[in-house]
Amino acid sequence: MSDGAPLVRLRGLTIRAPRRTLVEDVAFDVFPRKVTALVGPSGAGKSLTARACMCVLDVDPGLQAGELYYPALGEQGRTDWFADVRGRGVAAQQRLLARTRALRGAYVTYSPQAATSALNPGRTIGRQLALAIARRESPPADAGAEIRDLLAEVGLAPHVARALPGELSGGMAQRAALAIAIAPKPRLVIADEPETGLDPVLRRAVVELLVEVCVTHGAGLLLISHHQSTVDRIADDVVALPGHGAGA
Amino acid sequence: MTASTRPDSIHARRPVDRDARPIVDIRGLHKTFHQQGPWPWSPRREVLAVQGVEFTVQPGEVVALVGQSGSGKTTVSRIVLGLEEPTRGEVRLEGQPWSGVAESARRGRRVHYQYVPQDAMGALDPQQTAHEHVIETLTVLGGLSSAEARDKAGEMLDRLGLGARLHALPREMSGGEQRRVTLARVLALDPRLVVADEPTSGLDPDRRESVLEALIGNLPPDAGCILVTHDMTEARGWCHRVLAMLAGRVIEEVDLAVAEPVHPYARILFDPWSAPVPRGPLATSGCPFCPDCALAVDGLELRCRADVPSLNPFPDGGPAHRVACHALAPDPQSS
Repeated sequence: MSDGAPLVRLRGLTIRAPRRTLVEDVAFDVFPRKVTALVGPSGAGKSLTARACMCVLDVDPGLQAGELYYPALGEQGRTDWFADVRGRGVAAQQRLLARTRALRGAYVTYSPQAATSALNPGRTIGRQLALAIARRESPPADAGAEIRDLLAEVGLAPHVARALPGELSGGMAQRAALAIAIAPKPRLVIADEPETGLDPVLRRAVVELLVEVCVTHGAGLLLISHHQSTVDRIADDVVALPGHGAGA
Repeated sequence: MTASTRPDSIHARRPVDRDARPIVDIRGLHKTFHQQGPWPWSPRREVLAVQGVEFTVQPGEVVALVGQSGSGKTTVSRIVLGLEEPTRGEVRLEGQPWSGVAESARRGRRVHYQYVPQDAMGALDPQQTAHEHVIETLTVLGGLSSAEARDKAGEMLDRLGLGARLHALPREMSGGEQRRVTLARVLALDPRLVVADEPTSGLDPDRRESVLEALIGNLPPDAGCILVTHDMTEARGWCHRVLAMLAGRVIEEVDLAVAEPVHPYARILFDPWSAPVPRGPLATSGCPFCPDCALAVDGLELRCRADVPSLNPFPDGGPAHRVACHALAPDPQSS
């Protein structure tokens, strides 16, 4: 497996809603150990593009054009995942979603925007981490030790494993969500505005941690961000979406 | 960069009468919460939310309270509005005592001191239109007849750019529009003071500007405003003075039109990428920032660990620049 192969290769992505084009002709690559930032105003289609990179398409009529490859994915590296989906509507998009289920949470993971509400409120952080670790290709024998290591890596104390998401502060929840995102040892992490709702100091700490953790694990990072200061400091590549067809 | 979007500075737009009686006058404010542990028999923990905050807001002035989560910004603003009683200290609004006054005596005055919530959607009634929200406020709190209220509400919503959205329900509105309804409700009452708790959180930069333009552009000329915010661009562009808070204390007071923050923590707050961010816990005695501070060296270190620095005038700064730091602004009597 060559280190230089892109994790995602997206070409000419165009997504339509019934009356307007949401994303038009977007193309980029995400490489291992690199940060690709996706920027643009609200409604520019940042989240939609990021989700398309995980084969999650849920707009009608949806994908009109585009090619998606995972060149780093061994034998399937040359598969164009959008081949049977372009212009075929919702049913084809749902078949793709089902076909790629095993990739999400393993090859690619997702760190959500509002961590506090995105974590399962009824399961402890430790249990959620254990489930994420179980998605690895070769799950470790001692999951407990692995959970402690992951928590330490994102700067959380071991007892956080017993906490429910509701007991954590915003910054801690964001760290926990990050630990869950890296637990399956993904090749690619997609982080959708991980800084939302955090104060400026915490914002920097979370973003730095995100980059540090992805780089040490050899993963690539696709980061959606509103904050120019963040993007300027950490992104290796910047993909700016123009924001046509925005709602307002 | 953002200054170019506004033709004139906040100082030109809203002149401040420094000699007038302050709208808000806070002296020696302390607030301690007693937090109950998970079980009834667990010990109660003391949380020192506010420790010795003092400041004034003059007529016309917009003051920003900035700080990290948990620094006491929201507690201060709740005490100013009389939603919380201080443990110690005094709040006077327009020269009259406010804290510690019986609710029956305060009720008539409350209408002048208004609050803009952070979560606009949660503050609106899902079954009322934009117009009805403002009309209800004006008839119940403003004492207007329903015909008068209808006209005034329509006029205020129109001024905030919601003239075409009078009959929209909250769920039909965008985040920015919902916020402008909460602003219209407050501004229609001709308030003397508006306390806005992160009114722009969760909006993208363009919409933040339009919400602040709606709020500060339509504030009565002699009213005061306290803006609680995380966003330093906002503090810079829209406020006469900034109070930076850390661990329940004001550590720096600065007018960003004439000076930049000097306190090492305030500088991190304004530009988090300028220095390594503090990772460890705050100190519990002395200056809270001491463990991460580059200035607490040599002979000073002992003092920084032992004594809490008081807010003193910054020697090289303008008249309104004050900072709480043993290294930058030593106590006059001790030097």
